[in-house]
Amino acid sequence: MNALGIISFEDDTATIDGLGEFRPVPAISFLGRYRVIDFILSNMTNSGINDVRVFCKEKPRNLFEHLGDGTLYGINSKKGVLRILYGEKSFSAPIYNTDIANYMLNMQYIEDVSNPYVVIAPSYFIYTLDFNDVIKAHLDSKADITVLYTNTNDAKRSFLNCDALTLAKNKRVTGIEKNRGSKKSRQISMEAYVMERSLFIELVKRAAEMSSLYWFKDIVADVVEEKMVVGYNVRGYVACLNSLESYFRVNMELKDRSVAQQLFHSNWPIYTKTHDSCPTRFTEKAKVSGSVIANGCTIAGTFENSIIGRNVVIREGAVVRNSIIMTDSYIGAGAKLDHAVVDKYAIVHHVKKLEGTEEAPVYVKRRDRI
Amino acid sequence: MRSNNVVAMILAGGRGTRLFDLTKKVAKPAVHFGGKYRIIDFPLSNCANSDISTVGVLTQYESVLLNAYVARDHNWGLDVRDGGVYVLTPREKDQASFEVYQGTADAITQNIDFLDNLDPEYLVILSGDHIYKMNYATMLAYHRVKGADATIAVREVPLKEATRFGIMNADEDDRIYEFEEKPAQPKSNLASMGIYIFTYKTLRKYLMADVKNPESNHDFGKDIIPAYLNDKKKLFAYHFNGYWKDVGTVDSLWEANMDLLYDNNELDLSDPDWKIYTEDINALPQYIGPEGKVENSYITQGAVVMGSVKNSVLGTNCVIDKGAKVIDSVIMPGAHICENAVVTRCIVADDIVVGAGKKVGHKDSEHIELVAKDTE
Repeated sequence: MNALGIISFEDDTATIDGLGEFRPVPAISFLGRYRVIDFILSNMTNSGINDVRVFCKEKPRNLFEHLGDGTLYGINSKKGVLRILYGEKSFSAPIYNTDIANYMLNMQYIEDVSNPYVVIAPSYFIYTLDFNDVIKAHLDSKADITVLYTNTNDAKRSFLNCDALTLAKNKRVTGIEKNRGSKKSRQISMEAYVMERSLFIELVKRAAEMSSLYWFKDIVADVVEEKMVVGYNVRGYVACLNSLESYFRVNMELKDRSVAQQLFHSNWPIYTKTHDSCPTRFTEKAKVSGSVIANGCTIAGTFENSIIGRNVVIREGAVVRNSIIMTDSYIGAGAKLDHAVVDKYAIVHHVKKLEGTEEAPVYVKRRDRI
Repeated sequence: MRSNNVVAMILAGGRGTRLFDLTKKVAKPAVHFGGKYRIIDFPLSNCANSDISTVGVLTQYESVLLNAYVARDHNWGLDVRDGGVYVLTPREKDQASFEVYQGTADAITQNIDFLDNLDPEYLVILSGDHIYKMNYATMLAYHRVKGADATIAVREVPLKEATRFGIMNADEDDRIYEFEEKPAQPKSNLASMGIYIFTYKTLRKYLMADVKNPESNHDFGKDIIPAYLNDKKKLFAYHFNGYWKDVGTVDSLWEANMDLLYDNNELDLSDPDWKIYTEDINALPQYIGPEGKVENSYITQGAVVMGSVKNSVLGTNCVIDKGAKVIDSVIMPGAHICENAVVTRCIVADDIVVGAGKKVGHKDSEHIELVAKDTE
């Protein structure tokens, strides 16, 4: 594969309330076992991209720990490189912490490679895709920039605040606007691009000169007439995690095996870091249905339609419904949870009832004791 | 870390004939246990947790899978500088006829060049067939304090069962004065666990003498230990009281799996300070379907339960279809129990399909049924 992989980060319209305060979006746990970034990074390494730059907006510790040197993801230990890059000096205000600013600060790690192409993609879109197909389409179409998009009929609810593309018949992008939820059907930009590396560098530098507040997607929108920008339709399962509500909904959707099968394919493994937890033990009192459960748990209570992360303890008498319980949490006897998101290491023991809704799940903070 | 002066050698060449078809294509140490593990994960993880980072694995019977498996030493954190897992199979040598390993001692003798290169002070000999957690560093400290030539780990067994084991007779100071292999009238109940620590220099002399002895079986229990005793060498018994199980039969393999189902089970695989490591398999977390039912069971990632499961252990990526019932059974990785099938008191081998509506095993059976062929 002759492309450099660049994993970009989301802009500030994408915030996952609560969870996002403790770690960057790519490091948020997903579906009990994964972290958000596992999907895009596995897509890249499975496509044969062996040279990856992961840009991190803030709090890089989580990503360093989780990704390591990338060998778990199939990055070759000798020939491959995975670099986690971030603005080493703090920005005078968070608003200046744009993807463009981070590319500029780390430009030498983009310039000093020989790959003629770049694949740029953020981690907060969840999908599985072979980038070889995209590069082939890019070369066939003679486009300057290929941008990935997904068709949705649910744009009033999903992909809010994402960019929507206007496409001509030949798939050329003629305009880019925000999805404010006013139309049902949209072509949503996945903020993932393929182009020549030299063009990428040129656009980054132009954006930096244009405004310190510019994001890469802004400069792409600016050049739709000057450059040939062509859409590439990603047909499988695509989701965007840009709010607590969407995070909750997407996790719940993928709990269902028939939906999960649209995303997970046996010939396209999604890699993640193993923690060597033992299998999960269900006691005689456990009552479980419609749920996804990671390893290392002890389950004595009742739960349904939920996602349970690693090493969670659910005591006898606890009832968990339609909830996401993260790694190392504890749900005590008598606790009743419905539509809740319980962050890592939280202990829910004295509270009797926590009830949220699909649109506004209750969030229990990391390390909280309630 | 600079590697210390200890080398462990795991004897993993045995077929395990009493496991029948489970070991038709793989050696016994590669047989699955506890949903996600293989038996050899236990000695390998014990070595890693005991800070023994140079481990030779002696393989022979159906070793292709096992060799590839243990060679991935990073899975147990044994990929350290100056250490690692070394796969040692019988090999052709200059000026000698090609021989498979004739016995446990011969397996070591045939690799004496490997050990001489490492020049360890102590050699830990382990078996690849047992389920247990043990700190070999503690046993080594005991060996040093006693100034022993050899230390043998022992556990107390009920006297009436002692006839099935190699029995150590020791004085009050735990110095062994006699060893009896499967005695008809046992004098003590201290059974050898097949775990030895030897001071290497002494052992080397005995191995070199043993190889020249045409009468010898080249076996630690039958030949080397008796030779030590004959010469009044210092042999000590090291008492081990924790969980230990030889999973050499279908019944005992099943029992050891069932031991995992209970609260505070002695084996406790959830101890964060003594993790049992295994290969990293890409699998989704387990899924219990809307009509799934799970009671008193031990289930690992990748398992899909659409039917009902009771008192059972489910392996990686196994599938229990709608209407299927699994009771008192061990389902190994990749097995598929189809709609309305009923599995009772069975071990279902890896990747086996139990066809729709089939019934295997019986709740009152004397022995556990091994299902190692697809039933369509």
